[in-house]
Amino acid sequence: MLVKQKKSILSELYVLEIFKGLCITMKNMLFAKKVTIQYPEERRKYSERFRGQHYIKATNGVENCTACMLCPTVCPAECIHIEAGERPDKEKYPVKFEIDALRCCFCGMCEEACPKDAIKLSNIYEMSMTRREVWDKDFLLEQRGNK
Amino acid sequence: MPKCIIDGREAEFAPGQNLIEVAKTVGVEIPYFCYHPGLSVVAQCRMCTVEIEKMPKLQTACSTAATEGMVVKTRSARAIQNQKSVMEFLLINHPLDCPICDKAGECDLQDESFAYGSPYSRYTEERRTYLDLDMGPVIKKNMNRCIHCTRCIRFGTEVAGIHEMVAVQRGNNTEITTIDGRPLETDYAGNYADVCPTGSLTLKDFRFKKRAWFLKKTSTVCEGCAKGCNMELHQDGNVIYRSLPRENMEINKYWLCDEGRFNFHYVHDQRRVLNPAIASASGLQMTDWKAGIAAAKAALAGRKVAILAGSDLTLEEAKLLLEVAPKQFGGAPVFHFGTPGIKTVLDDAPADKILKRKSKTSNLNGVEKLGIKPYAGLPAGIDAVLVVRGGRAQLPTDLDQAKSLVGIGVFNQPQVAKFAAVLPGASFAEKDGTIVNYEGREQKIKRAINPIGKSKLLPEILMMWVNQ
Repeated sequence: MLVKQKKSILSELYVLEIFKGLCITMKNMLFAKKVTIQYPEERRKYSERFRGQHYIKATNGVENCTACMLCPTVCPAECIHIEAGERPDKEKYPVKFEIDALRCCFCGMCEEACPKDAIKLSNIYEMSMTRREVWDKDFLLEQRGNK
Repeated sequence: MPKCIIDGREAEFAPGQNLIEVAKTVGVEIPYFCYHPGLSVVAQCRMCTVEIEKMPKLQTACSTAATEGMVVKTRSARAIQNQKSVMEFLLINHPLDCPICDKAGECDLQDESFAYGSPYSRYTEERRTYLDLDMGPVIKKNMNRCIHCTRCIRFGTEVAGIHEMVAVQRGNNTEITTIDGRPLETDYAGNYADVCPTGSLTLKDFRFKKRAWFLKKTSTVCEGCAKGCNMELHQDGNVIYRSLPRENMEINKYWLCDEGRFNFHYVHDQRRVLNPAIASASGLQMTDWKAGIAAAKAALAGRKVAILAGSDLTLEEAKLLLEVAPKQFGGAPVFHFGTPGIKTVLDDAPADKILKRKSKTSNLNGVEKLGIKPYAGLPAGIDAVLVVRGGRAQLPTDLDQAKSLVGIGVFNQPQVAKFAAVLPGASFAEKDGTIVNYEGREQKIKRAINPIGKSKLLPEILMMWVNQ
């Protein structure tokens, strides 16, 4: 059974309530500390352990990766595709190393599994793009000023 | 049956059985490297040593025959201490290159060191390194990884019957190599990679193609010859990467010849006809199934047709052809073909002393049992031929005499240059069926991958032929 509550005329008009609400709004607008920043002029500092865009580490211009396929093995999103090959200066190297950026969930397991410290996740977080992106080996090697 | 006790479990054994085999029957695993059930026992790696009551020293399980009442402890403190020490010795010179080693994932040394070894090495001196000579087209050697189990040497002398692998130098400098560094000669060289417990000998053909743990395995039978060796096809993503022998003590034991091992390559041949194809002025024209079957029918219409069935078809396919032939092809005679010079089972003979046979198709015995006659030149009055085969039977050379040729099965483009129409069929890896080997043993072949491209199984093709 519905019971009709009795209310005073003041609260029926809502004037007082609206005024109270406006007070809170004004207080926050004028005096509270701002939580937003002026991106892209200002940027937030992220931890070194932040998991952003991938890169392949290179030593003296040679990629660390030996195409051992441990990262595609652990990858839960199955977004890494590697083809192995052989060349005179390196017994096994990745001919093809592709990361399907849209499938990646940035869990960082590839980084953990890598025995050669080759695949790393950087601090780069600006990865919005206008088409489906597959990062190839050249792109991944260029990141972080490698090469 | 006499009994012994292994790790507190009572095990029955046949007299003469060694402790490793007896322990396997009761589910006790004794680690080993140099022992191989198909080779002689040398007790070289010392990994399988176990403690036996009333014996003062540890004994190697591979060279100790079980006796009545023997009490064996495989996990006693002394045995474990020994396993740890042996593992440490074996790993002293072993490079830590599992990431680039093809054996990783199915490597005995890797498994045993994970199970019995220590994760830390105390070795600080420089590891010994070798320069490797080329070993021919099949095997890639990496001597740095070798643990001197001599399985490969014993395989060569005892099974392949050729003494080509030797151990030169002694002690720490031992090097396993071919005599004078010559390339391997045996036709069974692929087995060197199989028996090797480390990645010292690996297949060149499989080098860096795929890591072992990605592969899905299908137990099937080799179609390389009439022997019918049991093997496994390893595939990933509908691509076959390699085939390995599967143990069958009555046929091939543990071995497989190179011809059978690398036979699967024709399945993924670039030149394989994967679409229904019809002849045109500019060579073969790829079309769809409807046009292909229409063209095949037109090529045979109004002619005297003979059907040539390859002896690499399964029993089921050959029987189906026999059933369909009288109704659809006006009682066309059916002949079988396969290997030049091998017309019947009587012509078949061992091609060497190990596995190979002269008949290079898998089911010669089977198609003969169905009453199909061997092909001996085009019979008089026949002017069109329907060739049905898998991928292995060799096409007769006198087919050009027929006015019109139609093929169903696995062909590559040069083979069918003169054909009026080709309908792509399934190879042995893409179909299920039964084959009969030279001694009359029926074995099942299993589908490892789905038919590639637009190819279809023979029953489907004949059904479309009948209904269209």
